[in-house]
Amino acid sequence: MKYGFFPGCTYEGSAGYKESTEAVSQILHTELVEIEGWNCCGATSYWSLEDLPAVVLPARVMALAEKQDFKEVVNVCNACYSTLRKAQDKLAKDERLMAQVNEALAEEGLSYTGSTKIRHYMEVLVNDLDPDDIKKHVKVDLEALIVAPYYGCQLNRPWGDMDDRQHPVMMDRLIETLGASVPTDYSAKTLCCGASHVMPYEKNCLPLVKRIVGDALSKGARAISTVCPLCQFNVDASQSGLDLPDIPVLFFTQLLGLAFGLEEKDLQLKKLLVPFKTN
Amino acid sequence: MDNAALKAMFFEKYHGEEIRNCIQCGSCSGSCPLAPFMDYGPRQLFELAREGDMEDVLKANTMWLCVSCYNCMVKCPRDIVITDHMYALKKMALREGIQAPGAKLPDLYESFRGPVERYGKITDIQVMNRYAFRHPVDVMKNAFLALKLAKRKRLDPKAHPVKNLAGFKKVMTKARELETAS
Repeated sequence: MKYGFFPGCTYEGSAGYKESTEAVSQILHTELVEIEGWNCCGATSYWSLEDLPAVVLPARVMALAEKQDFKEVVNVCNACYSTLRKAQDKLAKDERLMAQVNEALAEEGLSYTGSTKIRHYMEVLVNDLDPDDIKKHVKVDLEALIVAPYYGCQLNRPWGDMDDRQHPVMMDRLIETLGASVPTDYSAKTLCCGASHVMPYEKNCLPLVKRIVGDALSKGARAISTVCPLCQFNVDASQSGLDLPDIPVLFFTQLLGLAFGLEEKDLQLKKLLVPFKTN
Repeated sequence: MDNAALKAMFFEKYHGEEIRNCIQCGSCSGSCPLAPFMDYGPRQLFELAREGDMEDVLKANTMWLCVSCYNCMVKCPRDIVITDHMYALKKMALREGIQAPGAKLPDLYESFRGPVERYGKITDIQVMNRYAFRHPVDVMKNAFLALKLAKRKRLDPKAHPVKNLAGFKKVMTKARELETAS
């Protein structure tokens, strides 16, 4: 299967997200073809500062995808995913906005119709593949590994059409498909990590990360699995200030790679701040 | 702008009128991860706006602490798009030149907008450098973290402009023109 891929700005600098996603998508035959010429989605900064340009940024990415004949745009970042969904929603409900956005895009010969479906790679693996398609690649026994599935807030909110808004189970199922297990009652799974507020308001945001990490630890997890570069960064990097035992924070693609028997260097595990030891 | 004009702008241009449906249940403030640090929780902020006390609303730090987690929107029994109203209030406060004391988010957002306007994309370093210029202490206290990231080759010093940067800039310029005209 072939998908238009929107990596987003933070993908390459993340701790092995790119390397592990590329390796895993090759194994699973989910071909992620980068949308040529993509730009930043604008994220919360643009929604907070601008009216029209905040919609034009994500619309340009989707217009490029349309021009390049992609029916679906796959994201690997919660903020990108949510920004594209939100722009799509606003444009579908507002003809005047749609006209203005298209007038701006016409400067570059682009147009937006809203025909692309916006997706997240984790959800693609769960919805488009048969669990057996994943299972047949599993080479390493992860039975002893308990992984807390941390979805973050923006993946399924406010839309709520991917899974339950408060208690999604999609990644839980994916982790179990790999042979590892999940704590049944990880209640911090959709709490906010503090996002970009961690920099200016570190003191206020540390309790948020403490809850995410503390809940995982107290429920017996030995690793946390994430689907977003900013979630991964905040939960990994903030641990030095928590006064709790360290717990590694992996991308879900790294976990898949580990189960598929890929090497640590293929998954760039050494880029994690809290190290993950395979044994 | 006076209170009445500000309220009209919030209610009409930014569709804030739906906060008339708010039943003041407080589910928003109760579910907000950063409400304890806000001058007013969203519930109180909306009540002030409904009463027309818009200057107080725009001076509050509330919307600058909103982290866009959308938890309040999920919990709101009246389906009010609370997060969008926070965005509207941020934009209005900036345009009125009102900044809550100690609100650093406008500077962070500006530090993000800079590289987007210039290259069409951001890197962590570009955002941090701009933010450090305005709040050196926040960045300095993370110097050790920056070292750890550099050691793991996670700080990319290069800019990666979008492929058709000239086209991108034309689109953004046009968007601003249209916004000003409307």
